[in-house]
Amino acid sequence: MQEGQFMPGHEHEHRSHTIILPAPTPWPMVLALGLSLSIAGMVTHWIISVLGVILVLRSMFGWFFDIFPHELHIAVPVQTGVMEISSTRTTREQLPIGADHRQMLPVETFSVTSGIKGGIVGGIAMIVPAAIFGLLKYHSIWYAVNLLAAGGFISWASESTAFLCQFHLEGLLAATGIHAFTSILIGLLYGAMLPMFPRKPILTAGFVAPLLWTGLLYSALGIISPVLNARINWLWFVVSQVAFGLVCGFIVNLQVKVRTPQFRSLPFAVRAGIHSDLPLTKDEEL
Amino acid sequence: MTTTPVLEAIDETLETQGQPPVNVIYEWLTTVDHKKIGLMYIVYALLFLVVGGFEAILMRIQLAIPNNHFVSPQVFNQLFTMHGTTMVFFMGMPILFGMGNYLVPLMIGARDMAFPRLNAFSFWISAFAGILLYYSYIGGSGLYAAGSAPDVGWFAYAPLTSKVFSPGHSTDYWTLAVLLSGVGSIGTALNIVTTILCMRCKGMKMSRMPLLPWLYLVMSGLVFVAVSPLTAAQVMLTLDRYLGSHFFDTQAGGSAILWMHFFWIFGHPEVYVLVLPAFAFANEIIPVFSRKAMFGYPAMVAASVSIGFISLSVWAHHMFTAGLGPAGNTFFVFATMVISVPTGIKIFNWLATIWGGKIIFAPPMMFMVAFLFQFLIAGLTGIMLSAAPFNWQLSASYFVVAHFHYVLVGAIVFSLFGAFYYWYPKVTGKMMDETLAKWHFWLFLIGFHLTFDFMHVPGILGMPRRIYTYEAGRGWDTLNFIVGIGAIFQAVGTLILVYNMIHSYYKGKEAGHDPWDAWTLEWSVPSPPPSYNFAIEPTVNSRRPLWDLKHPEDPDSDYE
Repeated sequence: MQEGQFMPGHEHEHRSHTIILPAPTPWPMVLALGLSLSIAGMVTHWIISVLGVILVLRSMFGWFFDIFPHELHIAVPVQTGVMEISSTRTTREQLPIGADHRQMLPVETFSVTSGIKGGIVGGIAMIVPAAIFGLLKYHSIWYAVNLLAAGGFISWASESTAFLCQFHLEGLLAATGIHAFTSILIGLLYGAMLPMFPRKPILTAGFVAPLLWTGLLYSALGIISPVLNARINWLWFVVSQVAFGLVCGFIVNLQVKVRTPQFRSLPFAVRAGIHSDLPLTKDEEL
Repeated sequence: MTTTPVLEAIDETLETQGQPPVNVIYEWLTTVDHKKIGLMYIVYALLFLVVGGFEAILMRIQLAIPNNHFVSPQVFNQLFTMHGTTMVFFMGMPILFGMGNYLVPLMIGARDMAFPRLNAFSFWISAFAGILLYYSYIGGSGLYAAGSAPDVGWFAYAPLTSKVFSPGHSTDYWTLAVLLSGVGSIGTALNIVTTILCMRCKGMKMSRMPLLPWLYLVMSGLVFVAVSPLTAAQVMLTLDRYLGSHFFDTQAGGSAILWMHFFWIFGHPEVYVLVLPAFAFANEIIPVFSRKAMFGYPAMVAASVSIGFISLSVWAHHMFTAGLGPAGNTFFVFATMVISVPTGIKIFNWLATIWGGKIIFAPPMMFMVAFLFQFLIAGLTGIMLSAAPFNWQLSASYFVVAHFHYVLVGAIVFSLFGAFYYWYPKVTGKMMDETLAKWHFWLFLIGFHLTFDFMHVPGILGMPRRIYTYEAGRGWDTLNFIVGIGAIFQAVGTLILVYNMIHSYYKGKEAGHDPWDAWTLEWSVPSPPPSYNFAIEPTVNSRRPLWDLKHPEDPDSDYE
């Protein structure tokens, strides 16, 4: 706020040393009482309701004439004086910012949408190892599909392996929905993480994130979906996650980077591409 | 070096002192001033806090030892019904609406609420609703014709509320009182939203608005969406009970589950209606007592709005044991877990605000530190309960009671107490006694943890909620006794607060207009503020207008 910022928004009021405010009125309270009594009559006596209705009508009448034809106001007298707005603290500190403080932040990174694209393609790629697992282990590509769908069909918990190896349209639809939703969500999360880890997307997406995600699921799946937890093969799960991550990271790596707000703080010569001798990131400086 | 710029004008209301009591009473009955209405909301809510707290103490005495018959089963049913209803509808919401009424116009540089008369009406109808509820002790006959107050629980599940199971008028009192209070809540929410959207002072863009009005904006939006279904459900229940309709009559094709949906589509957002103002107080107090600007203002706003939206999609986690089916269970498990993300953002931002600050452990900040810790624990047990299989085991147990009291007391009441100590000097012009405040803090903190930490354990051991008494030897005896002792600590702490408020009003030190060296607009006017708030409409250039005044050489507007 600049000095003299308290501008006289109501100059006419200030000069006359009064301020116009809505006038006090009993009618809101009477209306509330009337409504309460008219309802209370239902559980007490009809006379109470009649009294309530009378109060409601009277208060509506009174309230109406509080406002029409002109709203009732009161003029409140004002005495002006001088007030000091000051701090009792005499010292003020700012975070020490070194010359290279901001250089830790990237001036370019991948956008969130690149993470979503990676999630979608990674999700498609993940189907391959899942299908191979089903074929090798149960001679059916539908096993993994139905197992995923079982998270949404609690009645499938007691079904046999043979049942899970068969094709079920509702299972395919449910699994497709769950898989698509989860893939996009993971892609979105990954996209949101990218500005923090912008340098090696394939490593991050291909190995670090899948292992973190698997660990998280390993600890929680027993609660979220006991059916899935009882039948899941964690080795193949990790393989499919890594497949997801590698493809996701590859797709992200193909995307064009976008500039972050830190780019704006660079000198004009650098932003214009005339000079490029300033380090953009700490890594590049090193 | 701090400079001392001077405002061009200060306003001092020419209050007429020594009025006859009749005039004073008439002035309060007819007032449309947002500050007076706010104070009436707060006083009325504090009275109900005492009543609801007394009911809680009676319940804890009943449960302190096994095979106890301190009260009858019928009275016990009434106690937990009235305690829950009172604390949610007639203490929690009114006190938070009162704080909002008082603070929002002052913080956005307005002279009053957008609809001052509607504001008065909203307060009075809420107040009469509370009186109507407690009139049931005189006017109604309840279950078994043995009691008179409502005894169907604060959620009033169907078909227990049908005429067959609840003859007499006790349930009607509950229905009508809640319905009336809902009208008041929607009126006040409408006022808050309109005031914030239309009456901000010059320069106060939404991106410069203090976080408290932001949170009240989200909270009021939630009230619109959440209270309306409850009001509709109350009308339907009244039709069932009076005109023979069958909305919730399971014997005639109605649905008890329908009531659960109606109730909880209100009931869970209601938790956020109550907790968002608690967040709002934390947003104002923590930066001032850490002597730092709020960390991550845009993220805090985004998180608040996100909480508002997500909270509308989690209600059925209260109904996992009703048999929602796998799709419903899965959706509500994930929706409930997702809400921990924006909530987590808030906790991290509060911690980041404290981090590296010059922390002042005055009473408001002490309560905020406890709030942070306890809200985190409440959130963690909330995530546990959001997992459907876990919930199936512990639903309707004392674990759930402990969890939601951790939210309601550990987070909301602690934050509210912090807000009392923070804004009391503004409201009265007097400082509260700090020694008494610390006694209040430590007694209440110890009492809270004795009660609600230990309450989790009997829940895990299988103690159902709403149980009247229990056999000895189940492993619940000592734990329940400790829980009861904790309740007494909390009661004593609360009485100290009440004493401190009265004592300080008469004997407290003069506060001045800005005792905490704070940064928002309410601290730029005298304490207590004049009826018109600001003689000259303020203009702001940043989120901390008083910081800019105090430090014109380094204003926030240079950074925002």
